Amino acid sequence: MQPFALNYARPAVQLDVTTPYAYDSGLQLNVLHDGRIAATDHATLRALGTTTSTAGSKTHFDD
Amino acid sequence: MTVLILTSDEDVTADMVVLRLHEAGVPVVRLDPADLTSGVALSGEYVQGVSRGHLSVNGRLVSMNGLRSIWLRRPGVAASRAAQPSSWLTEESEQALYGMLRGTEARWMNHPDAARRARHKPWQLRLAQRSGLAVPATLITTFPQAAREFAERFPDLVVKPVSGAHPQEPPRAVPTSRVAPDTDFAAVAFGPTLLQRRVTKRADIRLTVVGERLLAARKPVSPDAHPDDVDVRFAPSDSPWQEAEVPPRVAEAVRTYMKDAELAYGAFDFAEDADGIWWFLECNQSGQFGFVEMDTGQPIAETIAGWLAHGTDRCRTPVGGGRGTAP
Repeated sequence: MQPFALNYARPAVQLDVTTPYAYDSGLQLNVLHDGRIAATDHATLRALGTTTSTAGSKTHFDD
Repeated sequence: MTVLILTSDEDVTADMVVLRLHEAGVPVVRLDPADLTSGVALSGEYVQGVSRGHLSVNGRLVSMNGLRSIWLRRPGVAASRAAQPSSWLTEESEQALYGMLRGTEARWMNHPDAARRARHKPWQLRLAQRSGLAVPATLITTFPQAAREFAERFPDLVVKPVSGAHPQEPPRAVPTSRVAPDTDFAAVAFGPTLLQRRVTKRADIRLTVVGERLLAARKPVSPDAHPDDVDVRFAPSDSPWQEAEVPPRVAEAVRTYMKDAELAYGAFDFAEDADGIWWFLECNQSGQFGFVEMDTGQPIAETIAGWLAHGTDRCRTPVGGGRGTAP
């Protein structure tokens, strides 16, 4: 009784890493633990894939 | 005049735009509707022919009449983080917040009605056809026999979710996947199934549209790529996205699509075949852009910030055909 498309499902990506930044409501931006703006640290963003189109992960935004 | 951004705290892609707005000195208020009644507050009154209202978040107060634009980015479910969340409270909160915002003169990226409609893939496919884009042969069906006949006509198929959503419990992803020639289609009866002719692609294309501006990026497919690796989100690749030119006919068709969809922002996915034809796959009305900007250096965040910061344009007919403020 499983829909056809689910025959092609795979486990979603579950990242065990903790994002090294937190939202600063004063700046309205996410800030790294060392105080730098997370969005300016492309190396970190690439490593985490947080700006990437990655399907199926609850820690990523789709599309 | 203030730019209002509706998104979650952890949306670091939105940060890229907030940074640009800060640099330009444009007032910004960012909030997540999920925080309504626990960090976010609202008030609106409609008295003697006049309406006024306010939003408050973390000590920031903004007048509804002082909004120049609203970026509906990745908002959480309204009031879902309230002290006592409930579906009733969510409905009440959504009606209050979005009802007030719909009554403002601000322009939207994207208007909620346009955004909701634009998520429907069958609607996207039809609009893409009407706009003049090349669309791979596609079937959406619950009839197994229709699927079998489609597979006879188009032997090399992929399957993908109709909605793009991913099942939970347990969390799973449903990537676009190649369908083997001898596949049993009986399970098509148990859920709408989207089958599409596989495009033998030489590159993936991500075309980000912001207002009138088209920013295209291209990722070549490796010559030794396995033909089963059809979903760029899952395919192994070391090659970065590269800035690309948009063919004039595609540009014209995409502008038609955006106009008819009443979208101010859209992220189009195409598959480029060996003849250079861009085959429309989908248009994500809130698609990610950070990964493209980081690879190509294209000023997508700056362009979004510029669109949000600049004046209103209310010449467009909103969803449903009445008067309104849709972009």
